[in-house]
Amino acid sequence: MPRAILSYIRAIDAMNRFIGRIAMYMIFVLVGVLLWSSISKAVFVPSLWTLETAQFVMVSYYVLGGPYSIQLGSNVRMDLFYGSWSLRTKAWVDAMTVFFLIFYLVILLYGGINSLAYSLGAPFDMTSGEFFRGLIGTFFTEGPAAAKEQLGFMERSSTAWRPYVWPVKTILCFGVFLMLLQCSAEFFRDLSRLRGVEA
Amino acid sequence: MTQELIAILLFSGMMLMLMTGQRVFGAIGFVGAAAAVFLGWNNGIEIPFTAAMKLMKWYPLLTLPMFIFMGYILSESRIADDLYRMFHVWMGPVRGGLAIGTIGLMVLISAMNGLSVAGMAIGATIALPELLRRGYDKIMVTGVIQAGSSLGILVPPSVVLVLYAMIARQPVGQLWLAGILPGLMMAAMFILYIYVRCRVQPHLGPVLPESEREDITRAEKMRLLRAGLLPLVIFASMMVPFVKGYTSLVESSAIGAMTAFMAAVLKGRMTKEVFENSVRNTLGISCMFMWIILAALGFGAIFDGLGAVKAIESLFTEQLGLGPWMILILMQLSFIVMGTFLDDTAMLVIVAPLYVPLVGSLGFDLIWYGVLYTITTQIAYMTPPFGYNLFLMRAMAPPEIGLRDIYVSIIPFVLVMALALSLVMIFPQIALWLPEYVYGK
Repeated sequence: MPRAILSYIRAIDAMNRFIGRIAMYMIFVLVGVLLWSSISKAVFVPSLWTLETAQFVMVSYYVLGGPYSIQLGSNVRMDLFYGSWSLRTKAWVDAMTVFFLIFYLVILLYGGINSLAYSLGAPFDMTSGEFFRGLIGTFFTEGPAAAKEQLGFMERSSTAWRPYVWPVKTILCFGVFLMLLQCSAEFFRDLSRLRGVEA
Repeated sequence: MTQELIAILLFSGMMLMLMTGQRVFGAIGFVGAAAAVFLGWNNGIEIPFTAAMKLMKWYPLLTLPMFIFMGYILSESRIADDLYRMFHVWMGPVRGGLAIGTIGLMVLISAMNGLSVAGMAIGATIALPELLRRGYDKIMVTGVIQAGSSLGILVPPSVVLVLYAMIARQPVGQLWLAGILPGLMMAAMFILYIYVRCRVQPHLGPVLPESEREDITRAEKMRLLRAGLLPLVIFASMMVPFVKGYTSLVESSAIGAMTAFMAAVLKGRMTKEVFENSVRNTLGISCMFMWIILAALGFGAIFDGLGAVKAIESLFTEQLGLGPWMILILMQLSFIVMGTFLDDTAMLVIVAPLYVPLVGSLGFDLIWYGVLYTITTQIAYMTPPFGYNLFLMRAMAPPEIGLRDIYVSIIPFVLVMALALSLVMIFPQIALWLPEYVYGK
């Protein structure tokens, strides 16, 4: 296996492990926010922000932890046949079927990016690709203030606190993207296993 | 191509994908995403992401990591070990008493976590070796532990009922209350079975020898009774504020997780290793569940859009001329059959989007069906060749318990559970009385 691919696998593993370990501890942030919510309800005025903050942390917990959960091997498979195959057979079947998984993630990401563009107020006559290209281009050539000009009506959540929706969607898209990277690393790991190298 | 044909194609495509052994969420997600792309509906391609956003706005999803976390704290830190001693000392003098006590233990553990893993871990590593040492029949006790721990998903807090609530769009609180009485009833039926069996065949469950009983002083007995406080405190800290309406379900779950965590810290059992294992496993299992639900919701949205449920309904009622009850019974039977060869978690999320709307349109109560659904899942958890509890048992049990013993052991308990299932079917009030009483419907 080319050295570059082996280091790619290692780099993705290390990055997703790092992010996943941070996500893992977010369960305590969740507990904290929810406890504050119950206390504030009992003792003072109920806080408006707690549930939505908890939701935001929850999304991060689940989607940023996803790639790490793949590394941990937590994602169940139906092992009616799979369980009795040799490591080699598993590797080559996985190397093929992982593309089905990747297809799903790509569709998910595509929907996510469109939806994110909508939340940032992209004009209806523009595709989300054009919108983001324009946005990022302006950001680098004319600075943040000019980029902000390009944002339209920003979608807000329909509750009392009315937070913007785009942070949740950004995290979700980013998590799916990390998942894609992890799946590509899994693909190369299976390939190198077929060549007799454990990555 | 007719809609029915597409629906059948989708379903068989998913089965085929699952057979390849790719991660379950990938298999389900792919079929949903492929249909979203190729059906050519307006904005169809965005269905998987729309489903994801819907899930992310569903607050009860917050309870999932909390209850899983509680379960791991219990099984990793072993704070519930004293509970076994309590039942051991108090139930020892009765014939088959240790096995009966184990069922009691399982009910208490079930009230402190949402899955069957914690019960399995405590049962297989603490109760099982003790029971074997006292000359209890190994096949019977293996069954006791598997059946008992499966109560974890019926007695609240229950992760399975949370998943069901998501798919059936029913309130989690009512579902949980509905699970309490059937859970206790099932535990009572297990106890009755053990008691009668040990009466008829005394060698299966000998009483604790006289000499050993005298070793235990009265003070010791009383001290052990305190162990029973722990589950009461944890359960009450969650359920009381929730039922009283002070906290929401989600907040209660956080209180429960905090209480369990504090209990482990106060008992000095929260070592670095316990902490690492419970936090890491919680992330792994929570993410696994979340991704499967995510994929299943996308798939379910496509299935809804096709009107597949209506098609199946008309097939049963108009073309085959079956009554609603007949269909319900057929559904439960097929559910059990599928449960024997499908992975349990996968089955949970595949079957629910198909069956739940059908049950609803036949005019049955969806809270009640949630209980039927959970009991059926419990049976699936225990039946070979694929049962979550079977696998756990094989991994955790002492070496003298063979695979054959594990398979044979569950037979009487599955029969008892099937009886419980039919009782709840015939008398829906067993499940519905408590939620109606509390919520005053």
